[in-house]
Amino acid sequence: MKRYDLIIVGAGPSGLSAAVEAAKRGLKVVVFDENEKPGGQLFKQIHKFFGSKEHKAKVRGFVIGQQLLQEAADAGVKVVLNATVIGMYLDKEIVVRIKDEVHHYKGDSIIIATGAAENMVTFEGWNLPGVIGAGAAQTMMNLHGVKPGNKILMLGSGNVGLVVSFQLMQCGCDVVALVDAAPRVGGYGVHAAKVARTGVPFYLSHTIVKAEGEEYVTGVTIAEVDDHFQFIPGTEKHFDVDTICLAVGLSPMSQLLKMAGCEMEDNPKRGGQVPICDAYGETSIKGIFVAGDVSGIEEASSAMIEGRIAGIAAAHYLGYMDEEELKTKVKEQEDALDGLRQGMFAPKNRGKLIEKTEEGIDISMNLLKKGYVADDEIERFPGVTHKVGVHPVMECTQNIPCNPCQDACPKHCIRIGENITSLPVVDPDVDCIGCGMCVASCSGQAIFLVDETYEPGFATVTLPYEFLPLPEKGEKGYGMSRSGEKICEAEVVSVRTSKAFDHTNLLTIKVPADMAMKARFYRKAEA
Amino acid sequence: MHEINDRSRDIGPFVPGPDDDMIICRCEEVTKGEIRKAVHDGMFTLTEIRRYLRTGMGLCQGQTCAKLVKGIVARELNVSPAELEPATSRAPMRPIEMRVFAAEAKEGEEDEE
Amino acid sequence: MKNNAEVVIIGGGIIGCATAYYLAKEGVSVIVLEKSDYIGNGGSSRNGGGVRQSGRDPRELPLAMYAVEHMWPTLSEELGVDVEYHKEGNLRLGKTAKHKEILQGLTDRAVALGLDVRMIDGKEVREINPYLSDEITVASWCPTDGHANPLVATLGFYKRARELGAEFITGEDVLEIQKIKGKARRVVTAENVYEGETIVLASGYESRSIAASVGIDIPMRKELIEALVTEAEPKMFPQMLGTADADFYGHQTNHGSFVFGGASGFEAENRDNGHMITSSITAPCICRGIMKYIPKLADAKIVRTWAGYEDLCADGVPVLGPVKEVPGLLLACAFTGHGFGISPIVGKLLSELAMGKETTLDLHELRYDRFQAVI
Repeated sequence: MKRYDLIIVGAGPSGLSAAVEAAKRGLKVVVFDENEKPGGQLFKQIHKFFGSKEHKAKVRGFVIGQQLLQEAADAGVKVVLNATVIGMYLDKEIVVRIKDEVHHYKGDSIIIATGAAENMVTFEGWNLPGVIGAGAAQTMMNLHGVKPGNKILMLGSGNVGLVVSFQLMQCGCDVVALVDAAPRVGGYGVHAAKVARTGVPFYLSHTIVKAEGEEYVTGVTIAEVDDHFQFIPGTEKHFDVDTICLAVGLSPMSQLLKMAGCEMEDNPKRGGQVPICDAYGETSIKGIFVAGDVSGIEEASSAMIEGRIAGIAAAHYLGYMDEEELKTKVKEQEDALDGLRQGMFAPKNRGKLIEKTEEGIDISMNLLKKGYVADDEIERFPGVTHKVGVHPVMECTQNIPCNPCQDACPKHCIRIGENITSLPVVDPDVDCIGCGMCVASCSGQAIFLVDETYEPGFATVTLPYEFLPLPEKGEKGYGMSRSGEKICEAEVVSVRTSKAFDHTNLLTIKVPADMAMKARFYRKAEA
Repeated sequence: MHEINDRSRDIGPFVPGPDDDMIICRCEEVTKGEIRKAVHDGMFTLTEIRRYLRTGMGLCQGQTCAKLVKGIVARELNVSPAELEPATSRAPMRPIEMRVFAAEAKEGEEDEE
Repeated sequence: MKNNAEVVIIGGGIIGCATAYYLAKEGVSVIVLEKSDYIGNGGSSRNGGGVRQSGRDPRELPLAMYAVEHMWPTLSEELGVDVEYHKEGNLRLGKTAKHKEILQGLTDRAVALGLDVRMIDGKEVREINPYLSDEITVASWCPTDGHANPLVATLGFYKRARELGAEFITGEDVLEIQKIKGKARRVVTAENVYEGETIVLASGYESRSIAASVGIDIPMRKELIEALVTEAEPKMFPQMLGTADADFYGHQTNHGSFVFGGASGFEAENRDNGHMITSSITAPCICRGIMKYIPKLADAKIVRTWAGYEDLCADGVPVLGPVKEVPGLLLACAFTGHGFGISPIVGKLLSELAMGKETTLDLHELRYDRFQAVI
């Protein structure tokens, strides 16, 4: 039987990262993936990632995927696509369907990096055509170029629900509402804010009563729920929609591990049935490792680091690396992983209501309940300052592990410091040159350039803009508030696009001076 | 002994619910009411529910409904879902045509790049 | 929960559940102890669902015939669940002269005992089942054989027995049976002790080590054998199929899926990982076998494969009934892969023995005391 040093199942972020680390140490590695394209979820991620510069922050997900693939190819990794793993049998045997045959392979070590599958929730009509997973919608749009629907309701305010809502709008869909049974927005505030400012209403403590339609979805009714998630009569709201997207969490696809006899546990914190594994991702069966969502649902950034750890550990297991190197290399990765697992969204804080930032500032409750920071809350954050002339306004109000902005400013006027989760601070003594690098660098689209004294009675606001068609200079429209309401007339005074901005366009709009700290989005006047 | 192992444990009578006709397992078209009723017939584990009603035995092998069934059974038994062992996993992980499963590649036929 | 009953049954498979049902129906108190967390987790849930008389050993055939004639047809009604019983015949297929010889031998023995089974040629085979390939030249045909759903039948016996008051306890690993004053009476598990006037041991291969605790060694071994199931297909044929070579057997279920069992040849040596894992080479082998007999199924998708242990008796028939040396103990094991079809009558016979009644059929030839050296 054909044998490899290492067989990896899944060519997503963790699997590819593992492959790179192992192949670099001389292991003969093969990666099987059932999809026709490699990269797992990365190639669906068209948004810029959070994190530190060392870990691909501000790089778009699909670009990270391309870089990983290149790294894998350079390291001599064999990636076999359209290769469906049928089972993991005794003695580390993997049986794979490739085209119209099944192949038997043995691995001296195996890394399972099969990722996760979307959860569903039930309500009347949940099985009507038109009720789809948010991840499925993302696959349709971003991999296959198919618009999932025209009028869409999103259930779930975690990062997936927020990111996919934004992408649906980029794709030209109308997102009529974002709904979550939880009383607070689950994902990053900055993701919520960029959806809210386009005018999508948030309904927290609400969930779906029923999907309407005979043959397919034609509408949806939601209602408010009480503390015990029971519907409150009389609070029903109806929307005409053709699509309902469910972003209600993921479950690890750990079936191969269970089949092979790895010890499993049901761990709700990790998203369901996961293998019991050590710090290197090694399961109860020696030489079988796991990495990524299959061992607990997290972000792609952590999946990549877990993959690297498993790849390094497999290299050590097979004698390609000594104990000392193992410890050093794994330590580097673990430090990076710890860095990512900080802040108010860290795994340890899941489900907790955090009321103050690390700096002791009150968290915006409006952001948690409605998806945007209220006008009377925004001034208390350190990134929001006033100054004569153009200057950055950073509406970054939650401690998340992300710092590309501090390197973006050529004048070094933005500071986050040693602690990657700290809120950004503006140095008042440095003059902003209005280059916009910070605006484009912010994965959360939370940085604006404001010139409160642009012209007598008028100010300008420069905002990140990722919709097509791009407005043209001189075009007239409206300034939209953080909550997505039209609050003033606005004129586009410049549209900047640059390779350095990586497809984030900078739109500068002229608004009445008293709107400088209120207008955060632009909408063209209807013809 | 775990409480669900005593199959004479009183879990109260079966009370019909308004959403009993809701389909839970889409592949095999099993309703919530059938699942709840099966628990009262003594099927206290997900494995028994599966064997009794075919939930999760269709093309998707429970990928969609496993968690939903678990929640329903746990509620009916008044235990935490984490206490219910998920059904086992079996090859093939994806449905595969008989002629393909039968066609085992011969040693050495494969390309060696 | 109580620890005493008139009858304590070790093993919550179809034999244990059926016995519990027939006892509970007569008002006898029963406790069933099952080692795994699931009712019917051994061969009961893993077999191919055959309800056959043809091909059976003459010592066992009367049980099969009785079950087919008097029990299976009314079982669904009796249990209140659809056990999907079909009495639409069994074709045992052959391709070669050697096969014909095997089939003829089986047929002659069964006819002598009064079973309606006969040899038919390839043409008649395809009149009965037009999906079978032209390679088939001969078959034995038993029109009163059939199949049922083993999962539902097992759980149906359990459900009905439970409704009638039988107590079932899962996760109870029986360590030993103890004699009290010369009679098997006490059943010791890891955490509890149970007592019964009669102890029924029906736990498949595990029966061997439990029986050893009262000095009984049942000459049996186990094999890990496999089966598979397809997605639902349009209705094709209702018969149970088998082959002279025993390279596969199976049928189409009510649901539309086909359930097939078969062998790679390594069954006696197959290893396990504690979860009855399948072997990587068996399912492909079964598929190749099926396709030779039923070419039309080549595109049917396999959705699941599984393995289960058969408890094989040294002389190929079950060990049933009392043991002279150990009063109070009733054995029901070493079914050698034939347990499902005869489970209703076995349950009934065991219940009769436990109640001290005269048995419906003579069990003499199946008793433990039959084992003798060859010379």
